[in-house]
Parts: sequence; structure tokens; C-alpha cells
Amino acid sequence: MLKNYLLVAWRNLRRNKVFSFINITGLALGLACSLLIMLWVQDEKSMDSFHANGLRLYNIYERQYYDGRIEAGYYTPGKLAEELKRKIPEIERAADIDLDERNTFQVGDKILKEDGNFASEDFFSMFSFPLLQGKAQNALADISSIAISKKMAVQFFGSPEEAFGKTIRYENKKDFKVTAVYNDIPQNSSIKGDFVLNWFQYLEENSWAKEWGNNGPATSIMLRADAKPDAVRNKIRKFLDDYNKEQDKTFHIELGMQLFNQQYLHSDFKNGEIVGGRIEYVKIFSIIAVFIMVIACINFMNLTTARSVKRAKEIGVRKVVGAMRGVLIRQFIGEALLLSFFATVIALIIASLMLPMFNSLTSKQISFPFFNPVFWVEILGLTILTGIVSGSYPALFLSSFNPIRVLKGSMKFSSGATFFRKGLVVFQFVLSVMLIIGTIMISKQVHFIQTTNLGLDRENLVYIPIEGDLSQNFNLFKDEALNIPGVTAVSRMTGSPTEIGSNTGGVDWDGKDPSVRPMFSQASVGYDFAKTVHVKMVQGRDFSKDYGTDSVGYIINEAALRKIGYKDPIGKRLTFWGKKGAIVGVVKDFHFASLRVAIEPLVLRLRDKEEWGTILVKIETAKTKQAMAGLEKLGKELNPKFPFNYQFADENFNKMYRSEQVIDKLSTSFAILAIFISCLGLLGLAMFTAEQRTKEIGIRKVLGASVSGVFGLLSKEFLQLVFIAFVIAAPLAWWAVSKWLQDYTYRTDISWWVFAVAGIAALFIALLTVSFQAIKAAVANPVKSLRTE
Amino acid sequence: MIKISQLEKIYRTEEVETIALNKLNMEVNDGEFVAVMGPSGCGKSTLLNILGLLDDPDAGSFMFNNIEVAHFNERKRADLRKHNIGFVFQSFNLIDELTVFENVELPLIYTGVKSADRKKRVEAVLDKVQIMHRRNHYPQQLSGGQQQRVAVARAVVNNPKLILADEPTGNLDSSNGNEVMQLLTELNEQGTTIVMVTHSEHDARYSHRIIRMLDGQTVTQNILI
Ligand SMILES: Nc1ncnc2c1ncn2[C@@H]1O[C@H](COP(=O)(O)OP(=O)(O)OP(=O)(O)O)[C@@H](O)[C@H]1O
Ligand SMILES: [Mg+2]
Repeated sequence: MLKNYLLVAWRNLRRNKVFSFINITGLALGLACSLLIMLWVQDEKSMDSFHANGLRLYNIYERQYYDGRIEAGYYTPGKLAEELKRKIPEIERAADIDLDERNTFQVGDKILKEDGNFASEDFFSMFSFPLLQGKAQNALADISSIAISKKMAVQFFGSPEEAFGKTIRYENKKDFKVTAVYNDIPQNSSIKGDFVLNWFQYLEENSWAKEWGNNGPATSIMLRADAKPDAVRNKIRKFLDDYNKEQDKTFHIELGMQLFNQQYLHSDFKNGEIVGGRIEYVKIFSIIAVFIMVIACINFMNLTTARSVKRAKEIGVRKVVGAMRGVLIRQFIGEALLLSFFATVIALIIASLMLPMFNSLTSKQISFPFFNPVFWVEILGLTILTGIVSGSYPALFLSSFNPIRVLKGSMKFSSGATFFRKGLVVFQFVLSVMLIIGTIMISKQVHFIQTTNLGLDRENLVYIPIEGDLSQNFNLFKDEALNIPGVTAVSRMTGSPTEIGSNTGGVDWDGKDPSVRPMFSQASVGYDFAKTVHVKMVQGRDFSKDYGTDSVGYIINEAALRKIGYKDPIGKRLTFWGKKGAIVGVVKDFHFASLRVAIEPLVLRLRDKEEWGTILVKIETAKTKQAMAGLEKLGKELNPKFPFNYQFADENFNKMYRSEQVIDKLSTSFAILAIFISCLGLLGLAMFTAEQRTKEIGIRKVLGASVSGVFGLLSKEFLQLVFIAFVIAAPLAWWAVSKWLQDYTYRTDISWWVFAVAGIAALFIALLTVSFQAIKAAVANPVKSLRTE
Repeated sequence: MIKISQLEKIYRTEEVETIALNKLNMEVNDGEFVAVMGPSGCGKSTLLNILGLLDDPDAGSFMFNNIEVAHFNERKRADLRKHNIGFVFQSFNLIDELTVFENVELPLIYTGVKSADRKKRVEAVLDKVQIMHRRNHYPQQLSGGQQQRVAVARAVVNNPKLILADEPTGNLDSSNGNEVMQLLTELNEQGTTIVMVTHSEHDARYSHRIIRMLDGQTVTQNILI
């Protein structure tokens, strides 16, 4: 019996090559794309899942209450881990961690920049980063210890064994002893990097972090196996009250904790609560995957039922010779399974061919888990689900045929079945149109971000890190740099002008309400800051060497001025961290953080002798090459122990929106795919209709219908469906898109033309698809088509 | 074998009601060869469909082998049908995607006959209709007469007690038609009951008895033997 089904299915496939091709291609494309999304989602979800102590590892976050609002984040004081472990018995281990540093190392003549982290002693005992050399408990035990990755060990010493115990020079100022070598960190770890420096060193370099009033580093803890997380949560909530004495009615801090492996996907806070994060993208793409699969399955259903007229006779005969309905249902589901099996095989091939492209698009290193039995079970599940879903309706429909009628040749679709089929096409196009609108809007927002006027000029602005001898030689560097042709201005700051992250409540002014404690973003800058980054002074002036009092002068932005409320701010008092000074300038608001958030009050202070930070160099467009060559030469001259290192501001800025760009590209590809699959279905349906109506068209033409009349007759029906789909999709898409845009304080508007473009595109593509068939039918010789009857 | 009394079949469409069978009475005995004749639209095919349990009557009684089957549900009808009845149609109704062999094999598959058995029985019956040499061909590769012989082979492969043939020679020229009639006569001689609808007096003469219908009723019967 089975053999017979397979035989018929196989021969049907071969006899109707075009239909089979459309059917399998549609399914295969859908499956391939779902497969890629599935791999991506699994990869996202597997982030940080490999730690053996995973269920006992938590991250600490701060919830700051001030000014009537709650701000939260993973920044904590630098000695928190030590104190938590000492005071709370349920906490077995704890580590302060400072992630994503980039430092220069040297062994012999070899000088390299490496990415890495700082962490305290317990780090290797908590997290599962296996050591090839050394012991977890003393890997970071004293101020001269450093742990490096296998990769870095090979780079500098040839092998982990060789590296162990050797010294390595850090930032050309201090030697460290390699106390451990760890295996290279896997791709699915949010802690990355090739070295881990000890925490004593961090605190020495960042003595501010020892103050309980400051925060910056992350803190992770590991609970005892028998500890109750909720009890610990209660104990840490008010933990800082004993340490941070700045807290009062206007300002206080609570601590919270979150499972370590959750942070990657859930790291956005709203009102002090975790509300989401990358998980949103995981959800969006899971939905897109389901959409695409539904579209592909609908194709299948439609094509199969459409073709059923051709198979009606077969069904009638089978029933006459004794097939029961159940048997026929099984046969058709079986055929669908066979097709979806073929489609899966092709999908696996397509997906593995597209994987490298997909990886570079998403900056992942996903590979097919071909040796993982779970993967195959999932694939099998997906195949069977697809086969059953797409085979179900045709099976029920086909098996219900009345044999007398089909054998008599008076086979007509009931209006219910036709309605259902049309409904499916509409549904398919609703999804497609929604995807088109969503995609255009994402692109529009990304474009908006990239072109929006930040209030500063990020074109031709170069960042050079202050490191090594540059921390002493900055002024020399500045003077020399200004002599290079093409360099128009030089300044410096902590951080970068598009990413000022640090904030403080330590600002005071005349007439401040003592019961509130507003937070101000803050950065230290050098002379000529406004001139270099092209921010506009609305009042007062830039920091300048011509005025001796600038070390107690402050520049604020308009948002800060609104908060402070001075009528005539220039020269008025401002006290920052207890240092009394005066406002020398007010700068027009510029975006110094993500466009997702509003522009906060900002205080800029002058610190020309800071040991770290970024040199800002403004250059002329026409002389970029010359200027960069000059800067490189100068950098090597003044800072010979360090490789010359720079970044363009706009590249750096674009990095902040990398995930948006990835989402943009991905959703565009998926939308195109969805439309393509939908059109495959439409093409199949159009072919079928044309075929079905050959006789009708023939008669019409004999009676005098024109080619264009027949063309209109055939196309109208489909275009109507697409139009209805558009009418349904437009409000849904509007709703979804406005929900997504709510994440951005600065956002593009949802213009009517987006909908117009989407609607016209869908109609046009649909018209193109059906017209080929319609034209073919319309110009066919009627005598021929009638004679075949 | 068949006893029908007061059988009614009415087709209702939105505008009209067609009485296809009007209180029809009829009997067919085991081993008989009956021809049904009558003008177009008088209800012959309708009658045959009901006899073949493809359709159910609206009223009246239909005894098949002394069992009342008029109100059998679809499942029971299908079950009875596949073991007892074979069909031959005017337009052959072979499945284009299957070979001659596979077409004939089909009823055996649905009655659950083992594969080795099937092969034997199909070959035997193909031999009988002299189409064995074409067993691996597809229907379109055969002449009309050959196709109808295959259809007959398919109708008898299950050894049904009753064969229903609706204008089996309607699409054939006279020599091919005669071949098929010959075949049916042989089957009848081997004990199979046959009810055949035809428009041809020539073909009807192969039967034992002719039932003439008009407007959904039997009018006369000619016994030919
Ligand atoms: N599905 C149906 N719906 C409505 N009326 C029907 C249907 N099938 C048959 N009829 C009507 O029932 C009557 C009997 O039809 P039937 O097909 O039995 O005629 P017939 O004797 O086989 O004719 P012919 O010799 O042309 O094949 C006809 O009037 C026909 O129009
Ligand atoms: Mg008839």
C-alpha cells in the first residue's frame, strides 16, 4: 500500500514538473530560512549556558532612586564582591569584573594590542573557563598576576606551557607574571577576551572605584548549592545602606540580582525592572520564521488543492474500487510528507550554502550541528509538522470528493472551498505586506539614525586613545598635530562625544531644591572641545587657554540649563563634586548617548592632564590621507612602544547601532523571501486558473472577447485578493511598527508613503506574476483549446 | 442477488427537482446477465450507481444478498462494495499515473491482499483479458479497446459476485466493442452476475434479459434466452 502511494506521489511529482518545482522550492526556501533563524535563536539562547555552576551564578545590578525616577544597570562599586562574600553566608564566591578593555602588551620586541578583562580572585573558580596551565584559586591571587588565553600564549610565547610563569609587559609600565593560561573562550560566551588581569591592579589604576559612592565595574556572585535565591535577594537589597553614606531621602540605591546566563538576552531596564533586551529580536525573528513557514505551507495547500481537479479522477476511481476516506487522507498526507521531506533535504543544502553569508551578516560563528542528534530530531519534527500542516487541508478536501460526480466530469469546487482558498492567498499576502512595511520602516529608522543631526559633526573626526607616553605628551602631540596639513583642531576627552556614559548626582548650584538630587551626565574634556567636535555654543564660550580660570569653569548643555534654571547662566556658580566653579558656556543639546534615550543634562569640565581618555582630531575631508599619515608618524614618534591606533567617529557611532543594521539587513532578506514564496504560490494558482478556464476563455474569444479583456478578466481576481490583503495588513503593520519605534526617543515618523510603496509593490509583483499566465491564456488560439474538450 | 422495490432517487437543485428514479422495482438473480436500456436521462446511470453502492436512494428498499443496504453508511457501503462489486465505465477511468499492472492491482491493495498473492492474481486476470504483454505500459499508451479490457480486468480481479458496466462499449468501435462484450459473456458464463447499461441493441443481445426504462421506471422486460 505504502509503495503504491509513494509510486503515485513520485510519478505525480515528475509528471507535473512545474507544479512540483514551485511547491518544493517554496517549501524548501521557507524551511531553509526557518532553519537559519532556528539556528540563530538557538545560538542566542545558548549564550553563557556552558558554565557548570550556571544555576548558582548571578549578576548584581543597581537600582538608583532619584529625582522621581528609577535608573538601573549592571554597574556597581569596585569592592562590592569582596564585601558581599564577607557579609552574606549564602554567597560562596564573588567577583568584581571589568569587561572589554583593550590594552597593549609586550614580550621582547613583540608588541600587540589585546582585548581582555579585569576580575577578582574567584573568577576562574566561578566561571567555567578551563585552565590549561595554573590553578583556578591562585590565577588572579596577587597584584602581579595575569591569566592569558591559549591564543595569546601562542602569540607571545609559542605555547601555553612556554607561557606559564613568564613575564609580560603591560602598557609599557608594569610587568605581570603569567599565572594561568585558559582555553580560548567559546563563541557563545558574553565574557570574551584574551587576558584577565587581577583586581588589585584594577583598583590601583582606578582608585575612584574604591569609593562606595562611585560605580562602574560589574559584580557576579555564586551562591552556595543549598542557598535560597530569594533569601539572598532580600539580604542584598539594602546592602549598600551601610556603605554608601551619600544616600538620603532624595537618593538611594538598591541592589538586585539576575541569573548570570539571563543577562545576555534580558538586559533592558524600565523603572528599575528588567523588561527585555535582545530577547525582543529573538521573538521578532521567531515570529518571522513562523510567518514564512505559514506562507510556504499555504502555498503548498493552495497548489495541491488547485491541482486536485486533475487528480479528481484518480480519487474517484480509488473510491470506486474500495478506498475508504481515511485511507485516502493518509495517502495525501503521505504525499505531503514526501514533498516536505524533499524540501527539507534541499533546505539543508540551501541553508548550509547560505550559512557563511548569514554568519557574516550576524557576526556569529554558527555551524550546522550535524553531529547533534537533537538537531536531527528537530529537523525531523519540522519536516513532519510541515508535511502534516500543509497536507491536512488538501487531504480533507480531496478525500471528500464524490466519486460519481468526479467520474462524470462535472467536478466543480464548492463556493466554500473557493472562499477558503482565496482566504489563504489573502492571509499569505497579509503576512507579506506586513513584512514589507516592517522592513521599510526598520530601514527608515536605521537611515534616520545614521543621518540624524546629532548636534555635533562626526564626519572626519578621528579618535586616538591616550595610552603609553601620550598621557604625558598630550600637549606636545596637540601642538605638533596642529602643524600637520589637514588637521584643523585637536582636543581630548574621557570617553567619546557620542558615548558619554558616566553620570553623577554630585552637582550643586544656587537655588537648588535640597530635596531632590538630579543626575547629570559628565565628561572631562580638553581645551577646544566645542571647536573640535563642532558643537554649537549658544551662550558663553568654549574652554580656552586664553582664560586662566578654566580649571574651575564648567560647560553645560541646554538640558542641564533647564534643570538648573539660571536665567543668565554665564558666570553663575556651579559646584561639581565639591569643587566650586562657574559656568563658562552653554552648549546646544547634542546626542551623546543612544538615540533610544532622551538627551540628559550634561556637565563638561576641563581636565587637561587626565592620564587616560581619547584624543579628538578634526581633519579636512580633502586632506584625509595626508592628515592620517602625519598623525601616524607623529604617534609613532611620541609613543614608540605602542602601535598607532585610531578610529573614525562615524564608524564608532555606527557600531552603536550594529544590531539595528543587522536587523535591517536580515528583515529585508526575509521580507524579499516571503514575497518571493508568496508569488510562487500566486504563480501556481494563476497557472491553474488559466488552465481551468481554457475552455471558457476559448468560448469567450470565439464570441468576440479581446485579448485585453481576457487579460483583465484573469488578473482582476488576483489583484483583488492582494488589495484586500493590503487593507488588512496596513493597520496591523502600523500597530506593530509603532510599537517597535516606541523604543526610540528619537524616531522617524511612520509616513503614508511607506504604506503606498508596500501596497504598490505587492500589487505590482503580483500583477507581474499572474500576467505571464494571463497573457498566455489570452493570446492562445481558441480553436485549439476548444478542440481538446 | 438484487431485489429492489419502490426505489426513489430525487435530485434537488435550487430551481428544479428531478425525479431520477420513481418507485422503481426490479430483481436480478445470481448468475444473470441483464442489460438496461432507455432514452438518455431516464435514470439508468442513477440506478447503476445505487446498485453499486456509490449512492444511496431517497426511499424504497434495496436488498443485496438478502441484506437491506438502502440505509448503509458510507463506510459499510465501501466495505461491501470492495468485496462484492466491480465496475466498468464508458470512459474506462484508469489512473493515468499507474501502469496497467498497478491499475489492476489497486482493488487488491484496498482489500488487503498480500503482495505475492496480488502478483499472481493480477497476472492471471491480465492473461485472461489478453493484455499481459502490456502490463508495464501506461493507459495512454494503449488503444481504447485495450484500455477497456484493462478496466474489465480491474473490475474482476477481486472475484466480485456482481459486475456493473455503464455503456462499456460507448467509446469503442464495433470490433473493439465486440471483444469487450465477448469478455463479459465469458465472465458471466463463469458465474459472475452482470448488469450492463447500453444504448446498443446489438450489445444488449449478449444479455439474458433486457430491462427497458422510461422516466425513472422500468417499463418492459424482454427475456432473450
Ligand atoms: N447530480 C445530479 N444533479 C441533478 N440532477 C441529476 C444529477 N445526476 C443526474 N441527474 C438527473 O437525473 C436524471 C437521470 O440521470 P442519469 O444520469 O441517470 O440518466 P441516464 O439514463 O444515465 O442518461 P444517459 O443515457 O444520457 O447517460 C436526468 O434527468 C439528470 O438530469
Ligand atoms: Mg448514463
